[in-house]
Amino acid sequence: MQGFPGAMPDAGQLQSTLIAIERACSSIQMHMNPAEAEKIIISLRQSTMPYHTCRFILENSKMPNARFQAAGAIGDAAIREWGMLTDEDKKGLILFCLHYTMEHASAANAYVQLKVSAVAAQLVKRGWFDFVEAEKINILLEVKQAILGIHGSDVQFAGINFLESLVSEFSPGTSTAMGLPKDFHDQCHLSMELNYLKEFYCWAQSAAANAVDRIVGGYASASEEKVCSKALHFMFQILNWNFQKSSSALDYSNNKSNLASSGIRHDVVQLRKFERSLVEPGPLWHDALLSSGHTLWLLNFYATLRQKNSSDVLWFDFPLAVSARQLILQLCSLTGTIFPSDNGEMHIKHLIQILSAIIDWVEPPNIVPGTLRSGRSESEMVDGFHALLSMATLTSTMLFDNLLRSLRPFGTIHLLSALTCEVVQAHASKNDDEQTWTSEGLDILLEIWTVLLGRTGNEKKLSAESIASASNLFNTVVESHLKAAAESAFEDDSDADYFHVSVSKRDETLYAYALIARASIETTATFLTKLFTERFALLSQHNERWDPTQTLEELYWLLLITGHVLTDPGEGETVLVPEAIQDGFAGVSDELQHPVVVLSWSIINFARQSLDPEMRKMYFSPRLMEAIIWFLARWVDTYLMPIDATKGHLGTSGHDEEQQQDSQPSKRFLLSFAGQNQGQIILDIIVRISTSTLTSYPGENELQAFTCRKLLVALVRRRHVCLHLVALESWRDLARAFANERSLFSMNSRLQRSLAETLVSAASSYKDLEISNQYVRDLMGPMTAHLVDISNRNDLKAVAQHADAMYMVSCLLERLRGASRATQPRTQKSIFEMGYAVMSALLTLLELYKNQSTVVYLILKFAVDFVEGELAFLNAKETSILVNFCLRLLQIYSSNNIGKISLSLSTSLQSEAQAEKYKDLRALLQLLTNICSKDLVDFSSDSNEVGSTDIAEVIYVGLHIVTPLISLELLKYPKLSCDYFALVSHLLEVYPEKVAQLNKESFAHIIRTLDFGFQHQDADIVDKCLRAVNALASYQYKEKTAGKEGLGANAMSSEESNGEFQESILRYFLRLLLQLLLFHDFRMELAGSAADALLPLLLCEQDMYQRLVQEFLDKQSNPAIKTRLASAFSALTSTNQLSSSLDRPNRFKFRKNLQIFLTETSGITSII
Amino acid sequence: MSDEEHHFESKADAGASKTYPQQAGTIRKNGYIVIKGRPCKVVEVSTSKTGKHGHAKCHFVAIDIFNGKKLEDIVPSSHNCDVPHVNRTDYQLIDISEDGFVSLLTENGNTKDDLRLPTDENLLTQIKDGFAEGKDLVVSVMSAMGEEQICALKDIGPK
Repeated sequence: MQGFPGAMPDAGQLQSTLIAIERACSSIQMHMNPAEAEKIIISLRQSTMPYHTCRFILENSKMPNARFQAAGAIGDAAIREWGMLTDEDKKGLILFCLHYTMEHASAANAYVQLKVSAVAAQLVKRGWFDFVEAEKINILLEVKQAILGIHGSDVQFAGINFLESLVSEFSPGTSTAMGLPKDFHDQCHLSMELNYLKEFYCWAQSAAANAVDRIVGGYASASEEKVCSKALHFMFQILNWNFQKSSSALDYSNNKSNLASSGIRHDVVQLRKFERSLVEPGPLWHDALLSSGHTLWLLNFYATLRQKNSSDVLWFDFPLAVSARQLILQLCSLTGTIFPSDNGEMHIKHLIQILSAIIDWVEPPNIVPGTLRSGRSESEMVDGFHALLSMATLTSTMLFDNLLRSLRPFGTIHLLSALTCEVVQAHASKNDDEQTWTSEGLDILLEIWTVLLGRTGNEKKLSAESIASASNLFNTVVESHLKAAAESAFEDDSDADYFHVSVSKRDETLYAYALIARASIETTATFLTKLFTERFALLSQHNERWDPTQTLEELYWLLLITGHVLTDPGEGETVLVPEAIQDGFAGVSDELQHPVVVLSWSIINFARQSLDPEMRKMYFSPRLMEAIIWFLARWVDTYLMPIDATKGHLGTSGHDEEQQQDSQPSKRFLLSFAGQNQGQIILDIIVRISTSTLTSYPGENELQAFTCRKLLVALVRRRHVCLHLVALESWRDLARAFANERSLFSMNSRLQRSLAETLVSAASSYKDLEISNQYVRDLMGPMTAHLVDISNRNDLKAVAQHADAMYMVSCLLERLRGASRATQPRTQKSIFEMGYAVMSALLTLLELYKNQSTVVYLILKFAVDFVEGELAFLNAKETSILVNFCLRLLQIYSSNNIGKISLSLSTSLQSEAQAEKYKDLRALLQLLTNICSKDLVDFSSDSNEVGSTDIAEVIYVGLHIVTPLISLELLKYPKLSCDYFALVSHLLEVYPEKVAQLNKESFAHIIRTLDFGFQHQDADIVDKCLRAVNALASYQYKEKTAGKEGLGANAMSSEESNGEFQESILRYFLRLLLQLLLFHDFRMELAGSAADALLPLLLCEQDMYQRLVQEFLDKQSNPAIKTRLASAFSALTSTNQLSSSLDRPNRFKFRKNLQIFLTETSGITSII
Repeated sequence: MSDEEHHFESKADAGASKTYPQQAGTIRKNGYIVIKGRPCKVVEVSTSKTGKHGHAKCHFVAIDIFNGKKLEDIVPSSHNCDVPHVNRTDYQLIDISEDGFVSLLTENGNTKDDLRLPTDENLLTQIKDGFAEGKDLVVSVMSAMGEEQICALKDIGPK
């Protein structure tokens, strides 16, 4: 057979292989001995030159699965043996696959044809730069003819199918790796985009156009419709292509002002969310997509079909309708230089054209939900929303609003508001079941609002009509949600919350509502105050018999939405008063009349009621308190003694009033109403509320967590607020209660840690260093004294194991840990004293509680945090104290845990024990890593002092202790192994000279773990191991060239598990690495670090390397492979003027060489 | 600080209670708890509310430390739960008798002969084999609420 590689086996052999494969396929399907069957199939895939056999199976087998496997085998083998095939062979294979799909286009089991066409696409890509242009064109011409319909619609379909595989093979996200570097894929991507993509689009378009005429005429066959929808889908796929922007990088700077004034945005990169992207094909596509009337043609086609099928509720989900809509959406997302620079005119026209069509999909707003309820699919409406989202992303808010005005008497935002009202109402009323469309629709609509209103400055300017629509919408939102809240108030299960899947999802929704509210803040603030006051009044009017639950739930929801309207989430940034609120309220002239001030005070006053025990018991349920605390935390960040960002100093009342004269009064009110004077009163109220949630709500962990981790943290976040805080009697009471009273011990111990952290943080506000430290001593002194007391008790041994003693110790440890986490330069001294005071007590306790994993873990974690906070500040003497303490800790831990076997009846207890051990070890590694950091970050004044501790020394002692605890079993935990290898590679890179000093056992252990790391799945870990080996070998090479001993005796220890022949560590790694490169499915992203590790290895062990290469070559039986391999090996070390040094340029050369080597050899050897 | 306030109540003397009351909200995963009269280790804690505006309650899933059975309990989080005193003591193994009892050396030089060999296959073989090879073995005995069981083994090795 012409153009078919390999020798033709005889007929009997072909037949018997066919039968074997068929049998294997059927036994896999029946789940009979699948391992055996897989072996047979794999052997086909891995055999040399299986093409004739595969072809025989493809053409003769009756079993689709066998044909499928045969196609896959052709692909695998050809990619692997690509270098050995002649050009004739390659072309023959591709054409065979292509013809096969065409000839069998109408056959059943489409997946076989799909596979064959995918294989053809793969091979075309593999040879993309091997073939001359004319050959490629010849192949593609055949496809073109098929697509244009010369051979009937089935072949047309097959042709489009092939192009689809081809395009997806050329897109980076969906391409097959084929063992080739990224560079190759990038070049293919670019070449496809520049030379063929648009042509493909046009072919598909004409295929679709032919079919469209017949479909509209009503005399199209089913297969023609199929072709049409396939073609549309393929066009959609092409427009999803990740266009390289380089070609379209036209100068925006010249006409920037023009474009900005037109309202078309050019700064947007993508549509957030919903996995859709903007389409930026560049000016080359102008004729195909825009000037040829393509968009109009498509819109008309869809409209006509829609008209025809309007009575069919199912039609909207037909593939043809879906693909057409998808393509329209894609066209709607067009942007960039495809539009001429005509001040956005053409783009605006384009958008209006699409809008005029999709408006039918969503209008009128009050009808659409009704028709959906009657069974029509929601997909068209949802697509309409998506189109609006694209438009909103691409235009300024004003332009977006104006788009509709040429078609309707109102703006787009008015329509959007009406749509959102309908969907919110439908979403909130729980009467209808199975309304997933409401949440999907609402998601998109709210995203549109977020896009429109989340902008800054002029871009989000709204017309009066839009503001009124927004206000109207917000009223509807609040009312329907309050109704839903009241209805759901008695529901038991918190999972069944009426709206939200999760808190973050809920917050996102509320954030969008808040933006809508802020668009019309002048009315909404008053509206919210009114609703809040009404419900507050309702509570105080009623007597005891009245059940307040519904009102409480309404208040809960109002607090959430008000919090979102008044404040931004912040998350680590300095929070400012939202822009819309700062800029609004121009007419307000009295602070006490300012709607935001009124709203804030009404909530604070309400919260203050919770301090009254009577009121608290009756109305302030834990859930309501949670909302109050949450609200206060956000409010404090934004309004309490705020920083005026425009001026960069504190916005306080008093002396700097003159400076603020120029800003409008309403803005000044916002910054000053909770300034110093009022601010202190509010601060006091908030501290007292916090204390009461900690003491009066026993066991309400969630509420107390909110208080400790959100509200109190917000109070101590800013130093000038802190200053007032520590002066308050209520704050001192809290600190006193924490230090000396029992009541706070009944909180969850983890929360006591946060509380300690917050209380200690406040110390940094004192101006005087000594006072700061004294504050910490007063706070933590009783804790350390108590812990020392316990460890000194005579009857300690008997009492210690009792649950109450253990609980007390755990609480104290958590508090100490919290305090050390709050270490700051100002309080570093007192915290060190605190740690120093308990060091020996902790060692006693660690020994005593060796069997109580929870206590052990806490001690370790304390040490971790303590070292992290303190080490950078310590002088030599203190460092050696701390480091000795850590070493003692490691020794005790290790002596108690090495060689221990604990077993339990229950497997789950067993796995718990395993997990605890793993957590301990992670803590130990973190401890070592933290100690390591002393070498990198050191703030102590006398770092050059003689006699300072050698950190490297310490780490190695630590490693001696810890490594025996780390079993290969434990290294299977990803986080642990990541920590471990990070530590080891860091150590080897920074202190290789210490390796020689390790004792044999520890050294061997580290090497063993590296060996293990090489086989790891996680590329990150393999990378770390490679770096470690690189460090080891480079060190050895440098030492040896300098005539020193280097690794010395350690280098000689044997690592072969059978122990039969001694070989040095480096030789072992050399062998391992070569094997990894040649025989495993080596990941190209690791090629760089592999090259870095390989170079010093082969420089160290030249002879060994040559021997190994010879060994590999000798094993090759196939002479063709052998020569290729040999030349690849010699090229690896001889090209590029590689020298025998380890400097940067040389390493870089070697990296390149290895990359070429890998590309050359990838695949050949995996069959050996 | 006042000493009386902070000191825990336990005394070393005999007859101390076998459990201690602790607020349910403070019991965490990996802690101990008594459920249906059995000492257990908590493997899962979740909280929920009785009605949206009610109080929190804790849902414990725990495993009996002696027989490995799974037990569950729901307790209002402000209420107290019983927490068992769980003790672990190490003894050196001196003999294994024919009838499945072990003989252990206590700290003050006496022997303790009332413990059976563990039922766990793996641990059992480790003990028997190790003992037969003449290794120096230390066993950990876990005790709580009047029950005792060998739970771990360590080879302190020939010196």
